[in-house]
Amino acid sequence: MADERAERWAGLIGAIAQRGDRDAFAEIFTHFAPRVKAQLMKSGVGAPQAEDLAHEAMLSVWRKAGLFRPENGGAATWIFTIARNLRIDALRRERRGGVTHVSEVEAQFAIDETPGADMRLETAQSEDGVRTALRSLPRDQLRVVEMSFFEDRAHQEIARLLDIPLGTVKSRLRLAMNRLRALLGPDR
Amino acid sequence: MNPAHHPDDSLLMAYGAGSLDLGQHVAVATHLRGCGRCRAWARAVERVGGAMLADAPPAELDEGAIERAFARIDGPAPAAARAQSPAFSGDWPQRLPSFVRAYTLGPWRKLGPWVRAREIALPQPCETRVLLLESKPGAKVFAHTHGPLELTCVLSGAFRHGGGRFGPGDFDAAEGEDHHAPEIEEGENCLCLVAIQGELRWQGLLGRLLQPFIRL
Repeated sequence: MADERAERWAGLIGAIAQRGDRDAFAEIFTHFAPRVKAQLMKSGVGAPQAEDLAHEAMLSVWRKAGLFRPENGGAATWIFTIARNLRIDALRRERRGGVTHVSEVEAQFAIDETPGADMRLETAQSEDGVRTALRSLPRDQLRVVEMSFFEDRAHQEIARLLDIPLGTVKSRLRLAMNRLRALLGPDR
Repeated sequence: MNPAHHPDDSLLMAYGAGSLDLGQHVAVATHLRGCGRCRAWARAVERVGGAMLADAPPAELDEGAIERAFARIDGPAPAAARAQSPAFSGDWPQRLPSFVRAYTLGPWRKLGPWVRAREIALPQPCETRVLLLESKPGAKVFAHTHGPLELTCVLSGAFRHGGGRFGPGDFDAAEGEDHHAPEIEEGENCLCLVAIQGELRWQGLLGRLLQPFIRL
């Protein structure tokens, strides 16, 4: 089964870009805004701020729809990076008091390539392939990956929250990462 | 030529997930600039983030969220963020990502006869500091141990230690317990970008004598 959902979302973002399609925006908002909020809350952002940032992310989707390139990963990936950058920006702003801008974070993730570097290996992995890979991972392994990297928790904290030994956290992470690299990554 | 030494999987995961601090992010980004393979992996991590987002259990939004969203998109567009046109001083080495070249470079400081360093001032307080470290050919950098973390990306020249040869684009990571004594290859100066936490501790009598002067 092709990932019809991903195709639909890409089409909706195209419709926003081309004709400011409000129904398309409403559909994207309804699916993604509550999930962006949920992911932010999992990474320790309080509910009111998570709500604000989810709104901010959706506003970026509306304004930047013309910059979306489906070939660089799907709509969900694009929205993930928007939310990630807003979260980083918000964290930094808290620490240094309102003199930062999310465009700085975006610039930090823009990779300008060294001329002559080998680009051939940069194959686009479809979102569909990634979801299949994630589904093939044992749930308890996926959970530690999520907690460690996407929720930015220390290994000790994960051990405490899941009530498992620290060594188990580390071995699950290692297993998950090896498997993800085998499924998604280019060979070393 | 492609780099032979890469950041490990957990660094690349943390990079893509957005959980590295800026100093470590700079070191990884410098490697990614010249490494298609790691770039592909970092992008795969973003797709993992996308897939997790798409399938996450939703949180409840405040009442009237969609109406507020429409009110905002109908509201005035924000003043466009000032285009950042980094003033490249011309002093910056090749191979650094553009965003780094918008930062401020500190003055060179000598760390003995063969080695000098200058700090890259990050635009915000950060636990990890970033330096450019330049060593002359044939120099033996004193064996040292470090604080929790030292990430190195070679910009030009090359060094060797027990872990192999490290040339342009190569990435080296060391943690507290590692004692290493890199040796600079003959031929040209070796310039590295180094991200460090804590202070280096130099080993050996001469290193200890010099410690007060070459505090990094």
